[in-house]
Amino acid sequence: MILRAAAAVFVKDLRTEWRTRVALNALLLFAFSVLILVGYAVGPTRLALEDRPIVNSVLLWIVLFFSAMTGLSRAFVNEEETGTASALRLSAPPAAVFLGKLLGNLALLGVVMALVVPLFLALMSFGIAAPGLFLAILAFGAIGLASASTFIAAIVAKTAAKGALFAVLATPLLLPPLVAAVTGTRIAATEPELAAGLDAVRLLFAFDGIMITASFLLFDAVWRE
Amino acid sequence: MRLVAEKLCRSFGPRKIFGPLSFATSPGRVLGIAGANGSGKTTLVRTLVGLIRPSSGSVWLEDESLPAGRITVRDANGSIGWCAPDLALYAELTPAENLEFFARVAGRPIPREEAERRIAEVGLDPKRLRTIRTRFLSTGQRQRVKLAYAVLGSPAVLFLDEPGSNLDEAGHRAVEEIVAAQRARGSVVLATNDPVELALADERVDL
Repeated sequence: MILRAAAAVFVKDLRTEWRTRVALNALLLFAFSVLILVGYAVGPTRLALEDRPIVNSVLLWIVLFFSAMTGLSRAFVNEEETGTASALRLSAPPAAVFLGKLLGNLALLGVVMALVVPLFLALMSFGIAAPGLFLAILAFGAIGLASASTFIAAIVAKTAAKGALFAVLATPLLLPPLVAAVTGTRIAATEPELAAGLDAVRLLFAFDGIMITASFLLFDAVWRE
Repeated sequence: MRLVAEKLCRSFGPRKIFGPLSFATSPGRVLGIAGANGSGKTTLVRTLVGLIRPSSGSVWLEDESLPAGRITVRDANGSIGWCAPDLALYAELTPAENLEFFARVAGRPIPREEAERRIAEVGLDPKRLRTIRTRFLSTGQRQRVKLAYAVLGSPAVLFLDEPGSNLDEAGHRAVEEIVAAQRARGSVVLATNDPVELALADERVDL
């Protein structure tokens, strides 16, 4: 029942997004603007060879983090602003709403990552020594970004200063996984062994597990109050 | 299934909106909620359906078939229907897609034909609206789709807040038909200023 309802919320969000493309356009416009700015200002040749892995890792996650901040809050803000949240509250189980919105945000972030990451690697001549580790870091990092963004979006959706509050709440919460993601990306760029970056993967996996579990436990109160 | 409200109060800060109110609905009966603009009718209805928590008092649904004899309105998934001015449906979905979506998330999926039949029941032409998103409908047409949404799950208690707003003569008749049909399967709570609509009520709560 919960899974079917969550799938319905997910499909509805995808269909709505496909027809308006508001969040996708905002995410892509921001990501590509920052990408071009970074490519122009820093570029692949202006960095010392030994600085490239860490600087490029930080820049990549800055682009992804702020892109997520730009578009992912719309998951619940849109429902509140258009007045559809009340009907959704009365019709759907809260867990299904959260899961559906989380899947929607993951899909959106997945599309952005699929377009932005290869472009970033090419633009910055950022070589990856351990592609498996890099993909794992990207996947678990995306789940962390999406789950935290989805839950915080539900908290701020009913407030007046949504945008400012979203960033204020999301930044401290997302700092630990961002540090792990940056560290893991740097290791993936320099160490060919998958095992070298396992600590970062474990930390991201733990954060995702805690974040998703806590969100499911707390979402009912956040959504209904 | 009966809706029971006991010593129900709602305040926003120091401003008292309504209460204490105690009343109950009975199957086959229509409970009218009357009051001037700003008297708290919409807030009362939102409290009754569980969208607003009461400041004090309680509201529940009771029925002998329920394991504990009663459930809170917040747990009454599918047992209540609601139509109000502040209810909005998804503007980027067609009316039929809206009904299909809400039926699916409530755990009672309906096929497209059933959704279109429900739309026809409120006096709209489902074939004409097949490709028209809800945002492009007139206010009156949207109100009719909202009425179709309210009775989608064949609710035990139907809450109608100003159901005739923006409706033409045929729309008002559709509201009367919905109220008559609801009497056969449960009860109606009808909040309105319209004396014609209030005449449908068997009992009244004045705010």
